[in-house]
Amino acid sequence: MASASLPGAAGGLGARRWLAMLARDPLACLAALFLLLLVLAALLGPALIPESAGRMNLRLRNAPPFELANGWLYILGADTLGRSMLARLIEASRSTLMVASSAVALSFLIGGTLGVLAGYARGWGATLILRMADVLMSFPSLLLAVVVLYTFSPSIKNIVLVLAITRLPVYIRTARAEILELRERMFVSAARVMGAGPIRTALRHVVPFVLPTLLTLAAVDFAYVMLAESALSFLGIGIQPPDVTWGLMVAQGRGYLASAWWLAFFPGLFIMLTTLSLNLLASWLRVAADPQQRWRLEPGGKAGDAP
Amino acid sequence: MGITRRLLAAVPLVLCGWALAGAAAAADKNVTIVLPEEPDIVDPCHASRSNIGRIVKQNVAETLTEIDPVDGSVTPRLATSWEQVDEKTWRFELRQGVRFHDGSDFDAQAAVGSINRTLSEKLDCEIRVKFFGPIELTATAVGPHTLEVQTVEPSPIMPTMMGTMTIQSPKAPADSLTREPIGTGPYVFKSWQPGQNVVLERFDGYWGEQPEAEKATYIWRSESAVRAAMVATGEADIAPSISVQDASDPETDVSYFDSETTAMRIDVTRAPLDDLRIRKAVNLAIDRSAFIGTILSKDVVPATQLVVPGINGHNPELVVWPYDPEQARKLIAEAKADGVPVEKEIVLIGRRGIHAGVTEVMEAIHAMLQDVGLNVKLQMVEVAEWVDIYTKPYAEDRPPTLFHTMHDNNNGDAVFTVFFKYHSDGAQSVLSDEKLDELVEKATYATGEERRQLWQQAFARINDELVADVPLFHMVGYTRVSPRVNFTPSISTNSEIQLQTITFNE
Amino acid sequence: MGSFIARRSLQSLVALAGLIVLVFFAARLTGSPADLYLPIDASVEARQAFNEKHGFNDPLTEQFGRFLVDLARFDLGHSIRKDRPALEVVLEAIPTTLALAAVTMTLAVAGAILVGSLAARRPGGAVDRLGSTLSLAAASAPDFWVAISAILLFAVALGWLPTSGMGTFWHWIMPVGVLLIRPFGILVQVVRGSMLGALSAPYVKTARAKGIRERTVVFVHALRNGLLPVITVAGDQAAGIVNGAVIVETIFGWPGIGKLMIDSIIQRDFAVIQASILVTAAIIFAMNIVIDLAYGLLDPRVRHA
Repeated sequence: MASASLPGAAGGLGARRWLAMLARDPLACLAALFLLLLVLAALLGPALIPESAGRMNLRLRNAPPFELANGWLYILGADTLGRSMLARLIEASRSTLMVASSAVALSFLIGGTLGVLAGYARGWGATLILRMADVLMSFPSLLLAVVVLYTFSPSIKNIVLVLAITRLPVYIRTARAEILELRERMFVSAARVMGAGPIRTALRHVVPFVLPTLLTLAAVDFAYVMLAESALSFLGIGIQPPDVTWGLMVAQGRGYLASAWWLAFFPGLFIMLTTLSLNLLASWLRVAADPQQRWRLEPGGKAGDAP
Repeated sequence: MGITRRLLAAVPLVLCGWALAGAAAAADKNVTIVLPEEPDIVDPCHASRSNIGRIVKQNVAETLTEIDPVDGSVTPRLATSWEQVDEKTWRFELRQGVRFHDGSDFDAQAAVGSINRTLSEKLDCEIRVKFFGPIELTATAVGPHTLEVQTVEPSPIMPTMMGTMTIQSPKAPADSLTREPIGTGPYVFKSWQPGQNVVLERFDGYWGEQPEAEKATYIWRSESAVRAAMVATGEADIAPSISVQDASDPETDVSYFDSETTAMRIDVTRAPLDDLRIRKAVNLAIDRSAFIGTILSKDVVPATQLVVPGINGHNPELVVWPYDPEQARKLIAEAKADGVPVEKEIVLIGRRGIHAGVTEVMEAIHAMLQDVGLNVKLQMVEVAEWVDIYTKPYAEDRPPTLFHTMHDNNNGDAVFTVFFKYHSDGAQSVLSDEKLDELVEKATYATGEERRQLWQQAFARINDELVADVPLFHMVGYTRVSPRVNFTPSISTNSEIQLQTITFNE
Repeated sequence: MGSFIARRSLQSLVALAGLIVLVFFAARLTGSPADLYLPIDASVEARQAFNEKHGFNDPLTEQFGRFLVDLARFDLGHSIRKDRPALEVVLEAIPTTLALAAVTMTLAVAGAILVGSLAARRPGGAVDRLGSTLSLAAASAPDFWVAISAILLFAVALGWLPTSGMGTFWHWIMPVGVLLIRPFGILVQVVRGSMLGALSAPYVKTARAKGIRERTVVFVHALRNGLLPVITVAGDQAAGIVNGAVIVETIFGWPGIGKLMIDSIIQRDFAVIQASILVTAAIIFAMNIVIDLAYGLLDPRVRHA
């Protein structure tokens, strides 16, 4: 329980111990498995799916799901152009995950760095960063994205950028709050006294402590970014065909909810399962990274125990 | 289940004193119309915009003449007869005993005032910009109910043009738009709650037959599925322009030609599209029949030109391009052998939401063009960007483009199409063909059979000789009509919904 | 306290100024309103004349100068599309969104406190697992998809609710319900987390030891302190609720600020874009100040120097 053990312990857990903790939480375990499968499908899927499944075939237009008459590729039905839903979903998973992960990675890196700086340094620079975050935070991000995307065309690059920018303040604020709490703590002061430079202090002692919190945030944010991207598609300013994401598939399929529900349902389901998995994993991570709660996931502690 | 439903239905009655819209509307002669978008303004001098015209045109403000959308003929409305005095002068006899909703008399003076207001530079009235842009026109009252219209250039189709000109009360503000339009129509503009509704009420002093509907309420929902649902649940009676996939109930959903024609403009100035063989190949590569009854309604008709058959000047001789990918590949190979850069990337541009299913159509066309070996990139743009690419001035460094358009001409004559799209001075033309220009100029001032033939020759030149377009489809719209009312949508339903044609079934 | 408000207001004004400069220039980069106002057949000359008349041909700096002069007189410009003062248009739309947001946030916070506290009483228990997972799942679906599905289910198939529009109590259920799920899902997590912390705090243990009833312990002693982070997160969610309002207002046909902003951006109605963003941001800034004050009142440890 000694505060000195906090950062080192969080960073120093072995991979095996993490896996063991994951196994103790069945829901988080399922979530991790699902995400793993998803990443594999996105990486390998296009190589496994025959090219013909992604081609237009109006004979199979809106073919219903769960019928094997057209082959296993059409198990999830076909879209308005008769393309296999399964093939489309896998193709879309690539760009969906790519857009969301690049946006999250960008805001994570930039926001996290700015936040650490704002918390660590004082003066007008920190104030400027914080006020910028305030402005961004207090303005509806969707509208900001729409204005920006109308100004510059809705290319994948711009969508990633705008989504990343609108999420910056969350990381800035969180990272700063963590640093503020930490910076006066014993071990940091001690490191300083012992002559470590500020950068060294930050890298060795501060970053490992902030990281789990920010990673948890990133998992939740990944979900947020996917939903924001689909909202942009609904407004017509998101990813543009022939590129495809789950969000775009839902937006395009919404007109068919009454006649061919699977067009919007399956991509919607995948968005939901992915965000849900990320959220479950994030809450597991919160527990696993918190030494005060970690015992719940370790041998001896019961996962369902009340404190 | 039954009890729950009854309970749930009874509570709002108690709570609010009135039932949901559907139940309340059933007893009376009110009609609710749900449209896709709310107008920003309601001044009838903008009535050529469909979101305004569908509310006010002919209902609130009437025109001097009416154009029969089926054959383009001109019929009387506020004018009872007209004659051409000379090449540049027309005389209209106006209907007598007509009053505006504010009580003032409709006479030649009032007509002149209203025409001058619409054509005034102070207002940006769409009717002026769209139909009377370059025309210098003087309207004078030569008798109490006789109107004379003079133009600087010959004006062979002035009666047709007057079918677009809405007439408003002399009390309409001269230099600002009105939010309470006053006309002579069978309905009075009662109220407008922005974002919520517009209400029209029957005008007791109407000069014509009293229509059945006493009150009309217009509301707006942007999603087609919601509009269709509102008629199904009884919250609305008429939902024009629902998408084909929402038109699932043959009992209530009627399809109608809406005078919209889709096509792709070929930028003939850019290689490889400057080569006739490539332009033909593009046309041959598209399997038009594959769209019918699949992505698009089963009722759409493959087009041969940009106007529908009812328009004066439509050329019935033109034939639909066959689907012949083999021939297309051959033409491309020939062009390639002659040094045409056939590998160059062609940009296929479409506009999001221009009609239901447009993205699928564009994706399909994209696939079909790639199938014959053309290097095509699909780009979907939003409306402002689309207009910018569509209209002059064009960017010098533009790539070769196939530009998807949808054109709506229900004003009776091909002049409203051909000049803008194909004459070398036209705002959306990429052509500069001397022979075509000559035909267009001659046709603009010709009358009768000669006029018709000249337009037909123009369309033959455009589509057969120059192959400047990829004509796609004459589109249909779907309107869902509640069983409690009778309303037959027509080719003009996109620009006006005449309430007086609505009758009730109870 | 007074100086705190003054300082925060000043900061907010500076932020507003930055925002408005950004929006002014960004909007004008999106193209000319003439393309959309005039019919497509309008000649090049007609477009030129339109731009000239409305001052869009002037250098941007000159247009901006005019805008600032007008702003100093509290004139937010004239909507070209609607031919009305932009501020009037915006003020007409604000109440709808405010009402929608207020009802939604109240219900979301109340519901989240209830579910979150119950979940925190037995972490890992049935309520916790079910509540957390369901609230997360609901918040994980695209809201426009939920909205249209809800209309098809509750209005068309079951006939329980009106499809859209406003008017009666019943018209509010679906829009509020759709708008609610995301903040609710997030707030449940926050309440649960902070209640978990509060319930293991020493003063709660003391209260328990004194034999105070468990319900009182949870909902009175722990909740008071567990509320603090909820207020912060709820405040942040409020800005996000305008995002949801854009979608909900568009689908259900509510004439609110979200729909107004989207429409004005699409139509390049610059004055309305500026006015609506300015007014919305001002409201959100004001709300943030109020939240900070509330925070100070609830938590004596936070001092506004």
